Amino acid sequence: MHAPQLDRLVPEYIKRFEPYIPSKPDNELKKLYGCKRLLRLNNNENPLGPPPAARDVIDGFPPPAASVYPSGDAYYLRYKLAEKFGLHPDQFLVGNGANEVITFVIKAFCQEGDNIVTADKTFAVYEWVAEFSGFDARLVPLKDFGFDDAGMLRTIDNRTKLIFVCNPNNPTGTYWSREKLLRFLDVVDGRQIVVLDEAYFEFVEKEDFPDGMALMESYPNLVVFRTFSKMYALAGLRIGYLAGSREVVDIIRRTCVVYSVNSLAQQAALATLEDGEHITRTRRMVREGRNFLERELGRLELSFVSGEGNYLMLRLPMSDTLAYRKFMTRGIMIRSMTGFRFPNYIRITISHMEAMEAFIEALEAILAEMPDRRP
Amino acid sequence: MCTSFVEHGALAFGLDERGATALTLAVEEIFSYLCRISSPDRGVTIRSSSRRYYNLVEISCPVKDFDMRLFNLTARVSAEDETALEQMGLLIASRFVDRLNVTQGPDNGILLSLVKEKSYPEADQIMTMHPKEVSRFSLIRPQPELLKIITTAVKALYPPYLFPKAFLYPGKVVDMVEGGEYEALAATGPDGSVGGALLWHWVSEKTVECFGPYLFGQAKGSAISGELMEACIGAIAKSPALGLVSLLPTDELPREHFEDLGTLTLFDEKGNGTALTAYFRQMHEDPGAYSWCHPELEPFLRSQYGRLAMPREILFVRDLGETKSPFSVLSVNIERSGNKATIRPVRSGKDMQENLIGHLSLLKKESLKNVFFVMDLGIPWQTEFTHPLLQSGFSPRVVVPYGGEGDQVIFQLGA
Repeated sequence: MHAPQLDRLVPEYIKRFEPYIPSKPDNELKKLYGCKRLLRLNNNENPLGPPPAARDVIDGFPPPAASVYPSGDAYYLRYKLAEKFGLHPDQFLVGNGANEVITFVIKAFCQEGDNIVTADKTFAVYEWVAEFSGFDARLVPLKDFGFDDAGMLRTIDNRTKLIFVCNPNNPTGTYWSREKLLRFLDVVDGRQIVVLDEAYFEFVEKEDFPDGMALMESYPNLVVFRTFSKMYALAGLRIGYLAGSREVVDIIRRTCVVYSVNSLAQQAALATLEDGEHITRTRRMVREGRNFLERELGRLELSFVSGEGNYLMLRLPMSDTLAYRKFMTRGIMIRSMTGFRFPNYIRITISHMEAMEAFIEALEAILAEMPDRRP
Repeated sequence: MCTSFVEHGALAFGLDERGATALTLAVEEIFSYLCRISSPDRGVTIRSSSRRYYNLVEISCPVKDFDMRLFNLTARVSAEDETALEQMGLLIASRFVDRLNVTQGPDNGILLSLVKEKSYPEADQIMTMHPKEVSRFSLIRPQPELLKIITTAVKALYPPYLFPKAFLYPGKVVDMVEGGEYEALAATGPDGSVGGALLWHWVSEKTVECFGPYLFGQAKGSAISGELMEACIGAIAKSPALGLVSLLPTDELPREHFEDLGTLTLFDEKGNGTALTAYFRQMHEDPGAYSWCHPELEPFLRSQYGRLAMPREILFVRDLGETKSPFSVLSVNIERSGNKATIRPVRSGKDMQENLIGHLSLLKKESLKNVFFVMDLGIPWQTEFTHPLLQSGFSPRVVVPYGGEGDQVIFQLGA
């Protein structure tokens, strides 16, 4: 049997593409780095866990139900979302995490020679999916850590099909106000699909922060992404969704993989929508954690970028990947930002106070090891 | 037909007559040898291609018993021995080209890659740029003429141990950049004056090496170095690169982006040593790895891994009486301008100690002051050289994470 002729079989854009290697499981990492505990401050997970109603669903999931296919299009969840946002159920598509719905949208609108426009330092999956699908990802540099609306408009050409705006931006926490977003949508004027990624929407308390769900009627070229992974703490179940005008969603549905969202995820997600207290509790925890971190980082004379969302980015006087290893040996997992093109920055998930104190303690110890920072 | 194909190809690809003749002779010798040792029903395939600054000829043949010993720098052929005389052609071939690699070819055969570089004129001593401070700058990919000015300026303003040999030939650097082998960034002011530059290239599938930043007429603390470095890191951030190394660091290298791997000492012709720190930056979060190790190297490795907080599992290579090849093979890269030789193992064998001593004696005759040995800890048999290296006066100096298949250890002789 001959070996497959990969050189001939594999498209050039796949050859160029570098696969994303996820972290090893926690137990493996603990063995590797020789630590007994591991505080996960790397993935913006909610340490409070899912809301109580969702926990009840998870606890009570009957094992025999695992043998039955889930609803192929998350029927009940879409109806519940429609009720919550005052939209039609056909305006929603549910996917195996927001990553999957990104893929649906790009497949639905791009063909050979097309491009997408987004920022250079933002959630990487828009760029990845475009590139490994053979489309050009045009990356506009951030301006003052935020999406540059004018720069993005200048970058658009007649082969641009999609514009991705992460609002608030991961990892900088900056956001476009309602006024700025409307101005942008007016200029685009339906020539492209504008995707507003609101993965961290539920964390934002600012009054001028736009609600994409409320804008669809006026802007039928707007598609909004939301997730149950962050605020609702269902990251392990993989469930997210998109919403848009019925015409646009009908197009995206053609590329949608049905049955990709499991029954437990659908039922747990449905239950999260009943609970209002969970958001209040989480926001309070994030507020306290952020205040504490800002104060401590100021004391340590480190610069940081702190905006919306449950994360904060800080600049270290050392390589962020070295810092990652040093934090790991102390049982703290942070996100190094080289891969986001922010060398020497790290991103921290804002968590409960005990974790934040442990982080600051480890940070101080690591800085003290640096030759020019020793007392 | 074979020689005519190679010679015409070489001339068409830009080698001068002398280079084309040398490459043709090398191919002829190898081809003749392979025809003698291969069975008549098995073909020999020859491919010739241009890589801008060099001509590459690849010869593949399904033979199994190929004596690579002849590619040792120390190889000699006895005039008394008829079989050895048959092999003399290989020895001649290896000396006619700039690089010769032997790897596994199709159908379990061998693949010989011969590289002959084009000849380029050396850079003028006279600088064609007057360095001046630039207060505002933007980063650009320099065009060929600007690149020539930059490399000339580097040669004029920096000592030779802070730039690679290729920089002596600006035309070659242009071809390397145009051919995609090197990448370059320059910081230019509004009037087009060049404030600084940084170049980098891939040294392996996982490692990028950068040169510079080189600054021209800028005040200490200029923002140019940091901007160049961050742009370089940004350019490779989403690539397969696991590490970025700087082995020839200028004073302007922004240290906060790097980890200190240790020092190598470079001696000039008079024997004066300059300690050069090897710098490394990891490009991804470290997922952990294993390193093969000879017990004599363990204390060094553990101390380095501990200092760098590198998550590594050390696996030991031990001799349990299995049959070994009688002969080892080493490759040597000599850089006369840097007074430097770098040895890499090609194959281990029972004669490792003698072979190493033979090579060192030859390099001593060449008066090379800086001799390094690079060992890949991802390839178990390479660690068998540890004892012979330590016995011959080498000491381990630097671990380069993910420098090869696994981490690399750079040994230095007598430092």
